[in-house]
Amino acid sequence: MVAEDISKAVRRVDAVAKSNGTAKYVPDYDFGDCLWARMIRSSIPRGKILNINLPELPEGYTFVSYKDIPEGGKNYLHMIATDWKCFAEDEVRYVGETIGLLVGPDKTKLEDLLEQVKVDYEEMEAATTIDEGVACKGGAFVNDNNIHCHLKLEVGKPDEAFAKAAKIVEETIETGFQEHIYLETNGACCVPEKNGEYTVYASAQCPFYIRKSIAPLLNISPEKITVKQTTTGGAFGGKEHFPDVLCGPLLVAAHKTGKTVKMIFDREEDVEFSVKRHPSKVVFKTGLDENGNIVAMDSKVYYNVGGYLASSFVVLQRGCFHVTGCYEFPNFRTEGFGVATNTFPSCAFRGFGAPQTLFAIETHMCHLAEMQGLDPLEYKRRYFIKQGGITSTNGKIVERVMIPEMLDQVLKASDYERKIKEYGTGKGKGIGISFYNHGGAFTGNGEQAIIKGKCKLRKYKDGTVEILCGQTEMGQGFHTILPKIAAHVLEIPIEKVIFDDPNTSRVPDSGPTAASRSTMIVGELVERAATLMKPRYDKEEEFEVMTEYEHPEGYPWDQSTFQGYAYLGYGWGVCAVEVEVDPCTAEITTKGVWSSHDCGHLIDEKIVHGQVNGGILQGLGWGSTEVLENVKGHFKQTSISSYIVPTSMDFPKQGVYFVENPYEWGPFGAKGMGELVFNGSAAAYIDAVSRAIGKRICSIPCPTETVMNYMLNGKDIKEAL
Amino acid sequence: MEEVKCYMPSTLIEALEIKSKVDCIPLAGGSDLMVAHKRTLGLTPKFDKPVMIIRNLPELRKIYINEKGECVIGSGCTSTEIAENTLCPWHLRQAASRMGAIGLRNSATIGGNIANASPKGDTPGPLYLLDARVKLSSVNGEREELVSDFIVKFRTLDLKSDELITEVIVPYSEDDFDYIFWHKVGTRKANAISKITLSQAIKFAEDGTVADYRVSATATGAKTNRSRDVENIIIGKKISAELIEDVIKAFDGVISPRAMPEFRREATRRMIRRFLSVAATHPENKVIDTYDDYHVTGQPEPRRK
Repeated sequence: MVAEDISKAVRRVDAVAKSNGTAKYVPDYDFGDCLWARMIRSSIPRGKILNINLPELPEGYTFVSYKDIPEGGKNYLHMIATDWKCFAEDEVRYVGETIGLLVGPDKTKLEDLLEQVKVDYEEMEAATTIDEGVACKGGAFVNDNNIHCHLKLEVGKPDEAFAKAAKIVEETIETGFQEHIYLETNGACCVPEKNGEYTVYASAQCPFYIRKSIAPLLNISPEKITVKQTTTGGAFGGKEHFPDVLCGPLLVAAHKTGKTVKMIFDREEDVEFSVKRHPSKVVFKTGLDENGNIVAMDSKVYYNVGGYLASSFVVLQRGCFHVTGCYEFPNFRTEGFGVATNTFPSCAFRGFGAPQTLFAIETHMCHLAEMQGLDPLEYKRRYFIKQGGITSTNGKIVERVMIPEMLDQVLKASDYERKIKEYGTGKGKGIGISFYNHGGAFTGNGEQAIIKGKCKLRKYKDGTVEILCGQTEMGQGFHTILPKIAAHVLEIPIEKVIFDDPNTSRVPDSGPTAASRSTMIVGELVERAATLMKPRYDKEEEFEVMTEYEHPEGYPWDQSTFQGYAYLGYGWGVCAVEVEVDPCTAEITTKGVWSSHDCGHLIDEKIVHGQVNGGILQGLGWGSTEVLENVKGHFKQTSISSYIVPTSMDFPKQGVYFVENPYEWGPFGAKGMGELVFNGSAAAYIDAVSRAIGKRICSIPCPTETVMNYMLNGKDIKEAL
Repeated sequence: MEEVKCYMPSTLIEALEIKSKVDCIPLAGGSDLMVAHKRTLGLTPKFDKPVMIIRNLPELRKIYINEKGECVIGSGCTSTEIAENTLCPWHLRQAASRMGAIGLRNSATIGGNIANASPKGDTPGPLYLLDARVKLSSVNGEREELVSDFIVKFRTLDLKSDELITEVIVPYSEDDFDYIFWHKVGTRKANAISKITLSQAIKFAEDGTVADYRVSATATGAKTNRSRDVENIIIGKKISAELIEDVIKAFDGVISPRAMPEFRREATRRMIRRFLSVAATHPENKVIDTYDDYHVTGQPEPRRK
């Protein structure tokens, strides 16, 4: 029998196989007579390739480069844009750019040969930071200004409002690189089949993306490539487009050799040569009236995109859409710039551009309050957006906004109001709070206009039901969530629902597993399909039903002007963090973390709880210890011992709360939540740390040594901006 | 598959004989060497010399108190074994218990930690503080040397080609001091490399003057820092605010941190100031830490002899 409330936790479908080691990851597949591949990559951030010096290759070993792309094939990877090359030709734009693959049967021999490869370059001056990119250091290499992409949004009449402002203040907030550190590194394998077809096995989020991205290399239709997702040990956006960078060259290698070719990254390789979260710089100009109220706000949002655009324009868009946070400002303007630099291209990472601007607005709001001697929470309260409120894209908030209720939960659990008074500032203890949201699914009507997600349910004679869609399990719990929805509607046990890792030749394209859309959008497709199946379930032995996404009427969006309803359902969050600072060493001890989230109705309370714990911890790491420096184009922290992901010892048990706010168009009222839970903890942490030390903090990450520098040389938290 | 020539002696004598004849790399826990020599996934690590595995030599796995009352620790003892054995001095147990991850502590040995000669190594700080010596054995005999002399500089040891580190002898313990201090600022709260670690100890004479004071710092230069000249500034005198500042200033001249120098210097200054000024008040608790609420403040676990 099925539980009455779908939220009640069930044992995760993938729990046993992942615990006892029977789950098969891509390195576990034995293809017998297979070849191994190692990447030859650029060792300089910018320059021309003069010569590739290869050692003499024994029989069975081969070098694969752009020259092996057959006639008619195109040397690019299709990752929204098509500028990222599969193989560098004569120029390189970043350290780690793929030049070629060295392929052969013996891994040790291959490694020995790889060590003898030497590439000669004519090195050019590189730009690696946002400022250097904007200044076109070494000369522009994208357009004539190093700006990959740009957008502008305006609400109200900011110029008129600024003209009337009593005071205008400016502030710059910055965030750094972040590496995903999924437990399983990237790996893929390409098998040539009969009739010029190929099968790709990959640790990936979006099998259909891979197919579409790499097919042009051989000038074949995507249907000629079958992509099978293998058990995927974490992704966080790092396996949304990046697997294409492995699969593209592997496809060319399989085409050239006619053999199965496999490539698995080791950890250092994966950290050093994979995509990262975009570093950001947000420059605020805020107009205040004589009472300190915000009358106008202008923000310039700069994201470090790296050498190629790929998916970054969409990341920048989401960043700009979220720069107003949970607030409504009468007059507002934002301008976004995707800056070309000679770093590894940045790409998707949990939050997809939103965390950077949310950190910026939260921190700026705190500083606006502090400089006026006001309590940050009281100041923020003045601007909370409500149902019907105007968003940064001149759309409206469709749903009820439950921030007041969520805030009450967090205030009560954290004892915030007593502590904020008692601790004051600069006395070694601090409590901070942040507010954040995340627009669920693709922007605007993208789900209907671009993705056109489809999903099938198939009933078999024995009463089992199979879900056929492209959604992937990557540790987030989707192998449990989707069967649970189907089982609940059909009123059959969850064990009777089959949901395998997708194979692109067997399942319809239901869109990527990204953008907090899987439960919200595909969950609804399954709910609807199960509803269609239910009256026929007992009568027919074997049949199939299919559903397709339909956007609700009456919420227009214009993708060319970015105007209208950007998101129909937001997830909302409130997070409080309490810290203590060691007066000798500046070490921060986190004493408490409390959060409340609105994710609509929960499909599985334990899975959602796990997402909250993990997302908040990952956000705290981004804000505190996860320093990732890029020195002359090279990432400096390239191992788990130098790239400091926090442990469970670093942050205490969290107080986790939810509000019930069912979403009209979601399955059982569920909304997206996987990214939301990342978006706010860094801002709450930095608010708490800056209060504890009494100094203003404008950038993250903020490790111990940086806290010490602020203690010694920082500006007072109450100083005028 | 690449081959690595391995020797696996079963007694110390056998190991010393191999070492006298073959230029080989002794490997105990392997937690540094296997990482330093690793190649990509699934490949055998690449060593340019043969390897001698000394992990299970029984002679190297003992911990005991010798007739002089010194703590003798076999070089093959793991960090976990040291952390859990109350015969071992407090400072050393603290350092061993916070070294890396649990898995690493179960394999990494004190001999290896010394031989790695890294300025960020966890055990040299306490070993310098407590005047610890290493025993070096070869087929031709034995000799002893202060750990602080044995580690010549970064990755360089005063070790002859036929010698093995067989014992670590620690003459002092917390019993010889009135107040003790050990604080590691790691990259994170667990599974961490040291950003800076300070070990300190002090003993007062009956007249209230300082009978002995010691301070050593980890990750503040090319090797672990300690200076008897600096300590002598306060020894024989009564603690005063001026003297504390003199010690701080002098120790600041001893350390030479390259990365994050401002942080490492300031944290060092503050920890010395904290320890000496609190010790001067003769508090009840023997263990002094960076601030009062800190979780490890209190009395050390009693030593069992």
